This record gives sequence, C-alpha cells and structure tokens, in this order.
Amino acid sequence: MNLLVDFCQWLNDLPPSQTLAESEWAFPIVESVHVLALGLVAGTVALVDLRVLGLALGDIRLTAVARRLLPLTWGGFAVMALTGGALFASEAVKLSHNPLFLLKLVLLLLAGLNAWVFHATVYRRVAVWEQAPVAPAQARVAAITSLATWTAIIIAGRFIAYVH
Amino acid sequence: MKLAHLMALPLALLTVAPALAHHSFSAEFDGKKPVRLVGKISKIEWTNPHSYFYLEVAGRDGKTATWACESGGPGALSRRGWKKGDVKIGDTLIVDGYLAKDGAHLIDARRLKLPDGRQIYGGTPGDGGPGDNANG
Repeated sequence: MNLLVDFCQWLNDLPPSQTLAESEWAFPIVESVHVLALGLVAGTVALVDLRVLGLALGDIRLTAVARRLLPLTWGGFAVMALTGGALFASEAVKLSHNPLFLLKLVLLLLAGLNAWVFHATVYRRVAVWEQAPVAPAQARVAAITSLATWTAIIIAGRFIAYVH
Repeated sequence: MKLAHLMALPLALLTVAPALAHHSFSAEFDGKKPVRLVGKISKIEWTNPHSYFYLEVAGRDGKTATWACESGGPGALSRRGWKKGDVKIGDTLIVDGYLAKDGAHLIDARRLKLPDGRQIYGGTPGDGGPGDNANG
C-alpha cells in the first residue's frame, strides 16, 4: 500500500504530469479526447450487447457485427487508456484516495473480465446459436452485465469530480 | 419487461446527474454561508481542474487552522490576468467565498485580493455559483 502511494507521488511529480496539471489548454483538450474515445468504446460495446439481446441490428449476423466493431472498440480503448493514464498522472495523489475513482477502476476490471469470459466461453460456440431467434441465457446475461457495467463506469467517472 | 426495468435504472440515475453536473458550485458549497478568510499562503496548487490556495487562518479562538480555497483552473485564472508566479508562499490573501456543505476546511473562492491589490474573480466558469457569468 505504501509502495502504491509512493508510486502515485512519483508519477504525479514527473515533469510531463506537472506540465499537464498546470496547463491552460492541454488538460481540457486531453479530457475531451478521453470522453470521445470513451464514447467510441461504450458505443460499439453497446451495439454488440444490444445485438446479442436482439434489440438492434437484427438483420446482420452477430459475428459480422462483432468483427466490424471490435477494431473500433480496441482503437477507442487504446486512446481512452492513453489519455486516461495521462489525466491520472496529472492528479495521481488526489485520485488515489478518491473512492469514486477506485470504484471506476474496479468496474473497468469487471467490464474487461465479463468480456473475456464471454469471448472465452459462449462466444466460442457462436456459430451454433447466432441464427437462433434468441441468444443463450449466458450470452444475454453477459450483454446485460456489460451494458450495466459501462453505464456505471460513466456515472462513477462523472462523480469523481464531486467527492474529495 | 425485466430488461426494460434494468435499462430504466441507469436512465433514471442519469437524469439526476445533469442537475449536479451543471452546478458544481451548489453540489459542494453552500451559497447561504459566505465567509471571508485572511491568511498567509502555506501551499499553492496551480492545477487542473481546480486550483487550490491553502491559507493559515487565525480563528476567533486564536487557533490557526489551514483552509483550502478552491478556484478555477490555470486556464480560467490566466484569462483573468492572474499568472502562476503572481502569488508566493508566505503572501497574504484576502478571500471571499462560500463554505463547503460537508463542514470541511474548504471554501469556494469567489473573489481573491492579491498582494498587489488586484481583485480577481476565482470561480470556475459555468459552475452556477454566485457571480458566475461563464465568461471563463
């Protein structure tokens, strides 16, 4: 735990972190790019989830939807992680004891874990069920979990600004 | 039906959020509790998204306490003519602001009187607090 605190302090004190923290324009611009990238990630993830649930893109095969959107999800994720990392570095010490920020990290982990389990299990047999009118229960649970988790990530992220 | 309920919950939460998001002043500070702090600066955080100036303030009981004065970020303050080096540790600031709702030693600094006599608006642009005209 002490190591973690030291790490946050070290990260916070790095010259680029300080430059971003004290900048007039860079911080809000990086923040905006972070939100745009988040929109791309949550948006494409939601489309796949809604397709699994049979609520959107019903006339396109799930595998086709996933194949086309996944590169956008990963691209958005890379930009989101990069800008998020930079923003974190600029206020690492404050954020390290912000409960909403920690909650957001846990939720991100949960979203990743949920997606990984989905792809490693039920999605492996997608060829068997993608033509069926209703997706298997496990796939639907994963889709609902994903939608709920990303919604919670966005709410937790926004509320970081309102706690100390 | 179950799914509709599940999806309605986050939507309901989101309709609550904007009320706070557009008025970060009232989310944390009490507009009915104005306060004036006078003290020497012990720490300066010229940082995004808010700057903080820590003052050593003598209370009515004679004890000195550290108070945090929250104000706009570097961009907002710079556009009002206040540059990073304009105040230093040990300088005396006179700050008019509003107390935090949670009782912490924290105020939202609306007007700051610098050592050189300049008075600068300290609010965060668009926070909806007293004196906010969202002009950055």
